[in-house]
Amino acid sequence: MNEQDLYESIGQVDDDVLLRSDKKRRSSRPWWAAAAAAVLAAAIAVGTFFPGGPASTTAYAVAEASYPEMAPYPNEMDADFEAQYDAWRTDKRAQDRDPAYADGLEGYFRASIPTFLRGAGTENRAYSPLNVYMALAMLAELTGGESRDQILTLLGHGSIETLRAQANDLWNDHYSNDGATNSILAGSLWLEDGVPFNQNTLNTLAQNYYASSFRGDLDSPAMTEALQSWINDQTGGLLADQVQNLKLSPDAILALVTTVYYQAKWSSRFSEENTAPQTFHSPVGDVTKDFMHTSFDGHYYWGDQFGVAGLSLANGGGTMWFLLPDEGVSPEDLLADPEAMDFLLSGGGWDQEKYLIVNLALPKFDISSQIDLGEGLQALGVTDVFDPDRADFSPMLSGSAEDLWLSEAKHGVRVAIDEEGVTAAAYTEMAMSGAGAPPEDEIDFTLDRPFLFALTDTQGLPLFVGVVNQP
Amino acid sequence: MEDEKIVALYWARNPDAIARTDEKYAPYCRAVARNILGSPEDAEECVNDTWLGAWNAIPPQKPVVLKPFLAKLTRRISFNRWRRQSAQKRGGGEIDAVLDELKDCVARDGDPEGEAIAAALGQTIRQFVRQLPPRECDLFVRRYFYTESVAAAAKHCGLTENHAGVILSRTRQRLRAHLCKEGFLHE
Repeated sequence: MNEQDLYESIGQVDDDVLLRSDKKRRSSRPWWAAAAAAVLAAAIAVGTFFPGGPASTTAYAVAEASYPEMAPYPNEMDADFEAQYDAWRTDKRAQDRDPAYADGLEGYFRASIPTFLRGAGTENRAYSPLNVYMALAMLAELTGGESRDQILTLLGHGSIETLRAQANDLWNDHYSNDGATNSILAGSLWLEDGVPFNQNTLNTLAQNYYASSFRGDLDSPAMTEALQSWINDQTGGLLADQVQNLKLSPDAILALVTTVYYQAKWSSRFSEENTAPQTFHSPVGDVTKDFMHTSFDGHYYWGDQFGVAGLSLANGGGTMWFLLPDEGVSPEDLLADPEAMDFLLSGGGWDQEKYLIVNLALPKFDISSQIDLGEGLQALGVTDVFDPDRADFSPMLSGSAEDLWLSEAKHGVRVAIDEEGVTAAAYTEMAMSGAGAPPEDEIDFTLDRPFLFALTDTQGLPLFVGVVNQP
Repeated sequence: MEDEKIVALYWARNPDAIARTDEKYAPYCRAVARNILGSPEDAEECVNDTWLGAWNAIPPQKPVVLKPFLAKLTRRISFNRWRRQSAQKRGGGEIDAVLDELKDCVARDGDPEGEAIAAALGQTIRQFVRQLPPRECDLFVRRYFYTESVAAAAKHCGLTENHAGVILSRTRQRLRAHLCKEGFLHE
């Protein structure tokens, strides 16, 4: 390799990179500040615990988690940009974890995704496997005996120590708080005044799961408001509609709340000029929806019952996959198809693929779903925590450990996609052409009937999966 | 005329496609070619070759945005021309300086083993460029893709020439490290 080879290879940089570089830089505003979201997703999982006996009135201190420090994204116009950049890069790298931490999670994903997405009927449904994973891992910390073992089994662990280490790695690997990309798997505990909680357990949650504990009268309007505003803070207000009705039961003495909020732009935005109304064949009849259109040279994947196209998200945001069931096949059928699950967990490493021109037509959607995790968790073998006679919360309570059980486990998710928003300044639609051999074939990939989507991170872990029946 | 309509003309094999492309993109492509070759006459010929290249490539290709498509085509054609010329004499464009700088990133005395894996180099460069912070990325692209002078690239990115020089030098060091890590170079 010599400098001429290198120069030639630089000719293959991505088109959107070239287009962005064409724009002159004037303002001191960071490039990302004007960028609106293309994909917004948030999830919340709430478990509410009921007391079974009289509570004592011992007061406990609140345990507070402290998130890792992260230098802000550097401002390119500042004189000390280099120093800012180095500080930012150092902090970002400090969050990187060996990807091997995710080994063993596949069984949980494979079992839980169909369990929680099935039965949507004609409605939309979405689920965040990572959000529920964090909630379950924290629940395992709070429980003992068979209650804990059932959760460990579902998550693929033999001991709480290995689960704790994995959850800590997973949390850190997904953490970003630099002002440009904010992504936090946030957890919290809400404790009723006067119940004898075990401080060591709360400290473990704060140190390993970055979960804070709050204490007060859970039935009071002030506490309800505090809970709602905590969730809104953690989810960028995206779940405000669902959260405004969220109130803890008057009898609850503890609630476990985890959230995940995700926001990213497409690597190449859709042109708004190409968005046009089109018919979507929903299970309740044909409806007209705005469809976004783009053509790109890329990989098209298929299985016996489905075809797939993926769109990448900028700034290491991962990939959003769209699984379109073949004609006559429903999303429900795909959820029962092991091959579809294989694809979802393959991270794009799939033999049945072809590099070609993909003409993608995708309806804009903004879907919300609320699911009760209780039934699904019990189907997945986590039963004892729901049973007042069997639940074992001994690690959490210093007193009447046998008198507590999990009464509710709710999961709310919202996922919205659009062309990219208002950011005409940042990116332009692209045409990936001119480099390499041109694809010989093309395919029209039109998502005009119910489909599945999955938003995976750079390692292929599913942050969100869902069924879109009515975009 | 919108790119989509121009591309439709190519697909219809309508020669107006070339006239419309020339109308819209000739100055842009001329600048790309001239950065590399220096000579306006040579640049003009490369731009004409670019239109021919586009005619041959579309179809089967169907670019949504023509600008980067044409930029890559012009750059490739111009660089090939420079290579032919450089066997006889050196051109007067910015390319000599750019190639000198890129020597920072390759083995000092050739790397025969590296040639075998040169096909994967483009992919590695794409990844490298994509993970650069936006300002470094833009500056790198202006200098090493568009082959602009450091002064022009600095101005484009709102930087002083000195500052741009420092950033480019650091980016080259990072690229060299990246190429080592990916197995294209041996330290």
